[in-house]
Amino acid sequence: MNSLPARLAVFALVAAGPLLFVVAPIGSFLVMSFARVEGHQIINDMTLDNYVAFFGNWVYLKTFLLTLWLCAEVTLIGIVLGYPIAWFIWRRRARTRYLLLLLFVLPLFMSYIVKIYTMRSILGLNGFLNQILVGSGILSAPSLVFLYNQGSILITMAVIFLPFVILPIFLSLERIPRNLVQASADLGAGAGTTFRHVVLPLSLPGTIAGGLFAFVLALGDFITPQMVGGPSGFTIGRVIWSQFGLAYNWPFGAAMGAVLFLFALAVIVVAGSIASRQRV
Amino acid sequence: MSLSSERLAATAAGFLAAAVLAVLYAPVVIGALFSVIEVTRNGINWGGFSLAWYGKLWQNQSILDAVRTTLIVSACSVSLAIVLSIALALYVEWEGAIGRRLIELVVYLPFLLPPIVTGLSLLIFFANLGISRGVATIVIGHSVFVLAVLYRLVLTRLQSLPATLFEASADLGATRWQTLRHVLWPQLRSAVATGAILAFTLSFDETLISVFLAGDATTLPLRLWAMMRVGFTPEINALVTLVLLFSIALAIIVSLRMKPEGEMEE
Repeated sequence: MNSLPARLAVFALVAAGPLLFVVAPIGSFLVMSFARVEGHQIINDMTLDNYVAFFGNWVYLKTFLLTLWLCAEVTLIGIVLGYPIAWFIWRRRARTRYLLLLLFVLPLFMSYIVKIYTMRSILGLNGFLNQILVGSGILSAPSLVFLYNQGSILITMAVIFLPFVILPIFLSLERIPRNLVQASADLGAGAGTTFRHVVLPLSLPGTIAGGLFAFVLALGDFITPQMVGGPSGFTIGRVIWSQFGLAYNWPFGAAMGAVLFLFALAVIVVAGSIASRQRV
Repeated sequence: MSLSSERLAATAAGFLAAAVLAVLYAPVVIGALFSVIEVTRNGINWGGFSLAWYGKLWQNQSILDAVRTTLIVSACSVSLAIVLSIALALYVEWEGAIGRRLIELVVYLPFLLPPIVTGLSLLIFFANLGISRGVATIVIGHSVFVLAVLYRLVLTRLQSLPATLFEASADLGATRWQTLRHVLWPQLRSAVATGAILAFTLSFDETLISVFLAGDATTLPLRLWAMMRVGFTPEINALVTLVLLFSIALAIIVSLRMKPEGEMEE
């Protein structure tokens, strides 16, 4: 087992699956992004047309930028709501702590499609939100503003992805040794000072991981925009998806997918390096 | 002074947690409610409690088929991922010199990237090879997706085992296979089981990759999505409630299994 060829053989054997079904597909879709469609034929003559069409057309570029903005908002909402909640759970006694955590993490295991659907029925014209607002006299008539726009995509994504943010933040808080907090208090630091100088820096990796989850999940989602976004709520994921469905332009879809892929990769690498630098 | 401000912050966070919890569960509770209570154009008929929709569910062949396909896909992809994750974790732990970082990157990538990238890359890959889409292609898509979870859990458990365990086994003349079978497997078993349940729930609910790879096959989430475009019946709410109860049960099992481990790490 110790000779180099033997070790290479073992490596090839073990890595075959991931290489074949992860690396090769990514390679083949990147190659596809340089192809073009003629009639119903996909011809690969290594053209940059798809990228020119994407970056040269303000409609697509704007959709991409708006999607990034949407993802940033989802991430921000996730952290602003998720951090205090994770902190709150962390401060409970051991028994209630895990019960609370379970309550906040359980929605992750509930059907994704169904959550979107029920969010749509809550936000809709005859939905719960309108019934409550009309019933309490805040609105005189049911309003359409809650559904089928960018705002409804934002609300739905924020609700669905929030547990993904809470969990990593909680896990990083949990990793902080309790005696560190105690020591800080013994040295005369107030609760605010301890939080700012001990708890917050040590929980930053988890916060970054949680934000990353929300960002990347929002970035590629195409079912939420399709279900609650209506005709105006387009995101880059929805545009890519349409290229593989009705529009039938795989190479163009692959090119936009490549942009998305490289952007997501960059975000993951940057977030990963920030998080690991903090861990020291 | 600062103690009371901390208490104030904790109270505020508690209120926030309660409010968010209500928002997180509202979609679920409302869906479950509609499966037993009649909703008409004029509003909600609270008197119309009935479990009839649960009965009707068993007569809907297309839904039953979708459930069966989903169970087959989940079982196959989790099994594949278990075998692969153990092989990868053992390789990284024993022979890690070559390509460890590369392997880990490749294993984690489908889990970290937006699912749409995994979906469309496999779609184009299979189309290039002339492989037609169906249950088998969904299984492969789900396998690479859940592999990261199983790999992480198996590797963590493997690394927590003392090296003397393998040394003792080797000193006693056991081959690698015997060590794996009689020494490692009993230690890994519970981590694999936890990972398998977790992976199963992920696969059972996976939608964004399946959409690209399904072809004519239909899993439950895809079936639900198709039904939503034409509008829902209480029947679907009944199904959804059952699915939710099922996944909640699995999640609780996972969390009960994970908790003692987490405490051990302290």
